[in-house]
Amino acid sequence: MPTRRKILAWGAAAAAAPALAGCGEEVGAARTTTAARGRPGQKVTLTFWTWVPLQKAVALWNEQNPDVRVDVQTVPANTSGGYQKMHSSLTAGDPPDLAQVEYYALPEFMLVNGLTDLSGYGADELKGAYVDWQWQQGVFAGKTYAIPQASGPMGLFYRQDLFDKWDIEVPATWDEYRAAAVKIKKRGSLITAFPPANAQWFAAFPWQRGAHWVTTEGDTWVVDLAGPESLEVADFWDGMLADGLVAPVQDAQSAFFKGLQTGGLATWPGAQWYDALIRGNAPRTEGRWRVAELPQWERGGHASSNWGGSATAILQGSRHPVEALEFAHWLNTDPGAIDLLIAAGYGWPAAKIELADSALGKPDPFFGGQRYNEVFQLADRNVDTSWRFAPTTTQSYAHIQDAFGRVLAGHGSLADALKDAEGMFVDDLKAKGLKARSAR
Amino acid sequence: MSTSVKPGRARSGTAGRGRRGGRPDRKAWAFLGPFLALYLFAMVVPVLYAVYQSMLKVERSGPMGLGEPSVGFAGFENYSLALQQETFVDGFGRVLLFGIVQVPVMLLLALVLALLLDQVSHRWAGLLRATYFLPYGIPGVVATILWGFLYVPGVSPITSVLGDLGFQPDFLGYDSVLWSIANIVVWQFAGYNMLIIIAQLKSVPQELYEAARIDGAGPWQTALRIKIPLVRPALVLTTVFSIIGTMQLFAEPLVLKKVAPAVTTDYTPNLSAYFDAFANANLYLAAAKSVILAVVAMVLSFGFLSLVTRRQRSER
Repeated sequence: MPTRRKILAWGAAAAAAPALAGCGEEVGAARTTTAARGRPGQKVTLTFWTWVPLQKAVALWNEQNPDVRVDVQTVPANTSGGYQKMHSSLTAGDPPDLAQVEYYALPEFMLVNGLTDLSGYGADELKGAYVDWQWQQGVFAGKTYAIPQASGPMGLFYRQDLFDKWDIEVPATWDEYRAAAVKIKKRGSLITAFPPANAQWFAAFPWQRGAHWVTTEGDTWVVDLAGPESLEVADFWDGMLADGLVAPVQDAQSAFFKGLQTGGLATWPGAQWYDALIRGNAPRTEGRWRVAELPQWERGGHASSNWGGSATAILQGSRHPVEALEFAHWLNTDPGAIDLLIAAGYGWPAAKIELADSALGKPDPFFGGQRYNEVFQLADRNVDTSWRFAPTTTQSYAHIQDAFGRVLAGHGSLADALKDAEGMFVDDLKAKGLKARSAR
Repeated sequence: MSTSVKPGRARSGTAGRGRRGGRPDRKAWAFLGPFLALYLFAMVVPVLYAVYQSMLKVERSGPMGLGEPSVGFAGFENYSLALQQETFVDGFGRVLLFGIVQVPVMLLLALVLALLLDQVSHRWAGLLRATYFLPYGIPGVVATILWGFLYVPGVSPITSVLGDLGFQPDFLGYDSVLWSIANIVVWQFAGYNMLIIIAQLKSVPQELYEAARIDGAGPWQTALRIKIPLVRPALVLTTVFSIIGTMQLFAEPLVLKKVAPAVTTDYTPNLSAYFDAFANANLYLAAAKSVILAVVAMVLSFGFLSLVTRRQRSER
């Protein structure tokens, strides 16, 4: 029988183990990527976490590459649980080889050492195949950390039939947009929805206006949420909300889709990838939709914006980075893969492609035979590519969404919400050990 | 059991007798050992580790702070940072308000259910008890999804029926969503608490009731003057459980958040710590928030306990 002293000693040893492990505290990923290229003939399986429906493209890869099998695992979209899961897997040292990470979240994963430096595996030679600004989303301090997949140039989806019936011009400026909204309301519809919990959607408009929510000054992050451009945008939507010209419903939810189906919502300023969502959720409106340039803040301009976009990242801890990089590059540049991705509605390709050569260049019966992607091609060229994302974007956007939600419940204005959120944005950055200040 | 022990004792004879004096039995440690080790490993060490982590911070340098990071000692910096976050502190106010209303309502309901069940004939008691207890068997997440359907306008039969009657209830609005969550929690835990109270009621000796009946007490008087005072320990226990549970409010708001923008990321302190740890990848700040939460929960539950025991002592 063990003595009391022995039992206590065991207990103390068991207790000491984690405490000692704690002393070697390190930041971020618990395991670093180890490159060991498979021996010839050795089979490799890559795990890929994504919420984008790209199973068909992966099936094509698996068919063509029997030695490098990619196992797609569907995770909840971005902040609905996907990123939480990725962060946990990094901390636990058991991450997937590849993961879908949106452009805005790349700096966040970068900050916790969650991404593999791909420059060491020759990724820089692939650069020429991609649109430059999209490639730059995965570049930090001169090294490449992710392969871009798609972006979201913005345009105005609108119901041609309703505009014809009501005899209203398709608005070219935001002033005209408001005027059209007043007329549409008289006809018993609304021009669009204002989603309370979608800071990314809202951010597209200050971006279009020329605002920069975050910039860097040496090693300091400068936050400018409530600059004159952003406030102008906020005032515009404040006015639309106050006059009841927009429906305060979350986009991509049942009430929103009902509006698109019934004509209760006549337009939607959205990203290119919304084409698949409209097509899929309002199939009976086929032929009635068209796409125009995003309304302009200044008459005669062609400024566009971007909403969304994501990359294929190779997480820190992958055991097969070489094969993973090969697959990521194939997925995002192979013509066969791109066509399958386009069919799945994944967004505007990051690879340089000839519109006419791909599925994107065809006239589309859903949009009344319009070659609507020509509009998005123009928009893509007119995105201000100097916009940057902070490494706290998820968190900071959550603050904005929380504040906007309160505004829609009748507490304060969007402009005030932006002013309040600016301070929180700075605090978020500081809490991560970064230097940050407010722009004013 | 006793028969197998006795011969053993008889054989060891004087040794057993000698051990009884002064020092505690060595055998007791053998029984306590596994528990203590587990307690140390699963409880004390993680708490100490959380406290340790809450005193750390990441230091970053280089362009945009993306250079090589290092972990440094932060002292109480994370604590002051957490307490400066207005939304985090607001979360405490919210759960306190929640607890002040929800806990009494739930326990009153549990008590009434227990007293009623005590009156019901034996044949039905088992069935009813199981029925009341059933919601507790449903995981919180599932329960919230279920109630979520009943709250969302356009999907919910409740809102549509009330709408036909001319009411426009907004269960997920800014001022009402907290009480919609309270409703879910009451639904889930009233039956569980009832079970604890009823267990205590069953242990009351029948002679007491007989004596009361002889003294001329009706069912009302028996309930008020005998049953309720006697289940007081059970009520104290369930209140402490409920205080701790309230402070830890998490699954219900997290799940409801999907359909209710009014539920913010810092809606409850637990939610706030969760988002810091897993969405914002700041484990150290999350650790500080968790420690603050643990301290507040401890102060509240011990405060409540000392309050009721002091009253008990003065009553004696």
